[in-house]
Amino acid sequence: MAGQIKNLVEQIIKVRCNGNPTLINPTKIKLILKGINPDKFNDESEDDPIIIGKLQTIIKDLNLVIEI
Amino acid sequence: MSVKIAYSTNTSSKEASQEIKEKFSNENNLKLVLFFASSNYDPNEIAAEMQNNFSSLKTFGCTTSGELISGLMLKNSIVAMAFSDDLIEDFSVEVLDDLNKKDAVDLAFKNFESHYESKMQEMDFKKYVGLTLIDGLSLAEEKIIDRIGDLTNIPFVGGSTGDDLKFTKTHVFYNGKAFSNSAILALLKPKVDFDIIKTQSFKALDKKLIPTKINSETRTVYEFNNIPAVKAYTDLIGIDINDASKYFMHHPLGLMANDEPFVRSPQQTKDDAMVFYCNVSENMELSLLESGNIVDDTKRDLDLANQKRKIKSMINFNCILRTLELEAKDQTEAYGKVFEDIPTIGFSTYGEQYLGHINQTSTILVFY
Repeated sequence: MAGQIKNLVEQIIKVRCNGNPTLINPTKIKLILKGINPDKFNDESEDDPIIIGKLQTIIKDLNLVIEI
Repeated sequence: MSVKIAYSTNTSSKEASQEIKEKFSNENNLKLVLFFASSNYDPNEIAAEMQNNFSSLKTFGCTTSGELISGLMLKNSIVAMAFSDDLIEDFSVEVLDDLNKKDAVDLAFKNFESHYESKMQEMDFKKYVGLTLIDGLSLAEEKIIDRIGDLTNIPFVGGSTGDDLKFTKTHVFYNGKAFSNSAILALLKPKVDFDIIKTQSFKALDKKLIPTKINSETRTVYEFNNIPAVKAYTDLIGIDINDASKYFMHHPLGLMANDEPFVRSPQQTKDDAMVFYCNVSENMELSLLESGNIVDDTKRDLDLANQKRKIKSMINFNCILRTLELEAKDQTEAYGKVFEDIPTIGFSTYGEQYLGHINQTSTILVFY
């Protein structure tokens, strides 16, 4: 399976920024500083369970509600 | 009057504080005083004296490894900025006096929410700005700034407290008291527009290192690219393995985000490992950086911000490693002159905060 990481990252940015484009860059930087570079993942990226686990922790820490 | 700045090099806490008070004495609409003091002042005395002299106001600040004020880089001094009520509509200051407490930031944020009667996540990030002053010897900065970033979109900017390169104890000050192993979070609601400038003087080289074995608690990298860290670093630069530390200042590493480095500075070698001034994560791609001219690059970034709108005042959290480089290159006077025409205070930090914890950077809060 592939593409789940890109989907999760996009969802995190979308929900966190709530439609405000000014927040996209700082949110991406926060993710990069947490060890997830959004630009490194695409639809073909393998569904690495370690990275998916990291993203689920981030979703919890940010208190986001995301449909997976 | 939006801000007033003053400094004293008097070595007596009492006299230095009185001198600051006298320089602010003509102002009657002051609301808040921020001060940065050399660690060579007795921390309890300087905290108490500053509060005594501004008894109707709140005072807060921290110890430093050198101070900045418009036009000058100082040592063994105290610098202060008083904010008037036409700059600051409201503020709230929280001391995190136990940095080991897991929910320290969450608790501080709850108090901010009570003060402002609004959820941190719902506050308008264009109307509020936070300041961080975090013990520079605590190794806690990443956890604090990371949690702040989790809980809010409000920008927080600041620096790690210093102790004049003694590396023994640093302090934050609030309301007449000094606290060690502590942090201050301040949430300001300015009446004017503001922005944050993050400036560093590096270009990324096309050479990468990936940490593959680390201890994030101690900020230690044992291996890059599955090779002992010191060997990987020195091989990348093309230098003798024994000369690694000579190149740390000129060639730190950078986590790149949109072509902008978030600098990770090596502090020392420990056998084959490298200890950093801030955390790096496993498998985080880091670029080798090469230093440039701090004065020119800072001036360029300030000019860019000034072109948009005229900066009226600023607080500069300037890395001690930049200060040491400026001193080594005899550029402290030139650096001070960059801020000569803007009411400025700042200090030489043990690390800087903006979105994350970083090194060899100036994070600057500017008010328009």
